[in-house]
Amino acid sequence: MSIRFQNVYKAFAEKQILDGVSFQVNAGEILFILGKSGMGKSVTLKHIIGVLEPDQGKIFVDEFEVSSMHTYDQKDELTLVRQRCGMVFQHPALLDSLTNFENVAFGLRTPQYRKKIGRTLTEEEINAIVLKTIKLVHVNEDTLPLKPYEVSYGVQKRISMARTLAPGPEYLLFDEPTTGLDPLSTSSINKLIFELSRKLKVTSIIVSHDMACALSIADQILFLDQGKVLLCAPPKEVIHSTIPLVQDFFKETMSLLPPNWSLKA
Amino acid sequence: MNKEPNLTLKIATEKTFTQCKDAIFNQLHEFGGAWIFLTKILRTFKKTSGHRDAIIQQIAEVSTRTMSTVIFAGLFVGAILVLQFDVMLRRFDAQSLLGGLNTSATIREIGPLIISFLLAGKIGAFTTAELANMRVTEQIDAIESLGTNSIQYLIIPRFIAIILSSVVLLAIGLSVSVFGAIIVAQIFSGINIYQYISSIPRFAGGWTLFEGLVRSILFSTVVATISTFKGYTATGGARGVGKAVTQAAIYINVYIVITNFISSSILEWIHDLLYFSISIVERIFL
Repeated sequence: MSIRFQNVYKAFAEKQILDGVSFQVNAGEILFILGKSGMGKSVTLKHIIGVLEPDQGKIFVDEFEVSSMHTYDQKDELTLVRQRCGMVFQHPALLDSLTNFENVAFGLRTPQYRKKIGRTLTEEEINAIVLKTIKLVHVNEDTLPLKPYEVSYGVQKRISMARTLAPGPEYLLFDEPTTGLDPLSTSSINKLIFELSRKLKVTSIIVSHDMACALSIADQILFLDQGKVLLCAPPKEVIHSTIPLVQDFFKETMSLLPPNWSLKA
Repeated sequence: MNKEPNLTLKIATEKTFTQCKDAIFNQLHEFGGAWIFLTKILRTFKKTSGHRDAIIQQIAEVSTRTMSTVIFAGLFVGAILVLQFDVMLRRFDAQSLLGGLNTSATIREIGPLIISFLLAGKIGAFTTAELANMRVTEQIDAIESLGTNSIQYLIIPRFIAIILSSVVLLAIGLSVSVFGAIIVAQIFSGINIYQYISSIPRFAGGWTLFEGLVRSILFSTVVATISTFKGYTATGGARGVGKAVTQAAIYINVYIVITNFISSSILEWIHDLLYFSISIVERIFL
């Protein structure tokens, strides 16, 4: 059970976004991808679920090679991979035409999910899963009949997270999950990611700028710069890294942390 | 001293040539992209029949959004054509042919063309903007990431709805147009309703209706393909949405005019071939 990148290259027009990226995330681990904006962090995540196709290199999700699944005939296999991976996008990306309830239930109504569980869920079952999932992300039931634009950005983010969690993915991919949220929501979402990874044994990859959170909950931290992997190591090694960009990130983070802050056990 | 103007001219010529070359390549690139997208839609449609409820919902949306404009425009199209034909026919004292000529021209050419331009303006632009917004806010990526085929879920209902609605709207538009033409013919040309209608079968038969239907389906396919293609492939935030809508509007109009020319030539050729075959059969057997 792992996600592996082997020498992946990706360019948009003239700009090289990923330049020989290689790393591996094992089952139950939390990997944080850090780096400056526009360095290919989100692009890396989108490659895992096959939304983007690499120019060169291989990407494996378990036994599936996602990088070779872009022909029309392999769409079904790609769908299988996507069912294993749940992705929370940078923006809530909720469907405006559906209610919040329908958004959370979206993944449970797809033909692919029916195929996965071998039957169609009843409305009562869907209702129960939706309610259980929104409790996980601390969303009030009252917001479910509303449309996404009728609730706050923070609630939209949580509903987006619930939508991803509802079908029960084995891998969770978060693209800047706390961007645009207040400190309390940020803290509770960070806790939630940690709980999901530890309690449900879900493997997580998180793209973020939040070094403090990365140091607190990550098993590994990967630094991307100019499309290259600068460093991929556990938090304790990251703190002692001599790489200038890593040091800058760490110094900047330390200046914002409270004096009693400590690295996770 | 003489070299400088020559050099400037050479640079200007090269620049113009490069710009023309880029524009042609861009057009070909867009055309190729749209064509590949259409084949994707058709392959997905063949494999999975799409969502029936979503298709019905989209047809209702497209029809209701465009209906009022089609009725309004249809009324005036018929009226304008009557005035134009009347001026010409009056010279030859052939006003009795007004109803037939006007109806034939409306069904064969003007009707499908006007309906398609209206569809492009109202539904094409709306579809492109809606899909482009969904693309730039990662809604399409989210649908894909949940294991749903976004072409099946989003594109096919809109694609089918635009084509089916255009046929319904054409029928309504043409009826209204004939009604408008009859009123104007009565008031401005002094042609009464019986004179007008009696000349219609002489010019507008089954083939005319077939031509109008084929054109309408072809034009609406252009509207559906380009509007969904430009929306689905939009990039670059709010500016990208605006750019996609503008490009969709331009490409749809250009491709409709080109399709009109090609379809007219082909239909004319089929028509001639058909009548030639019939005349040969008649000579042999009768």
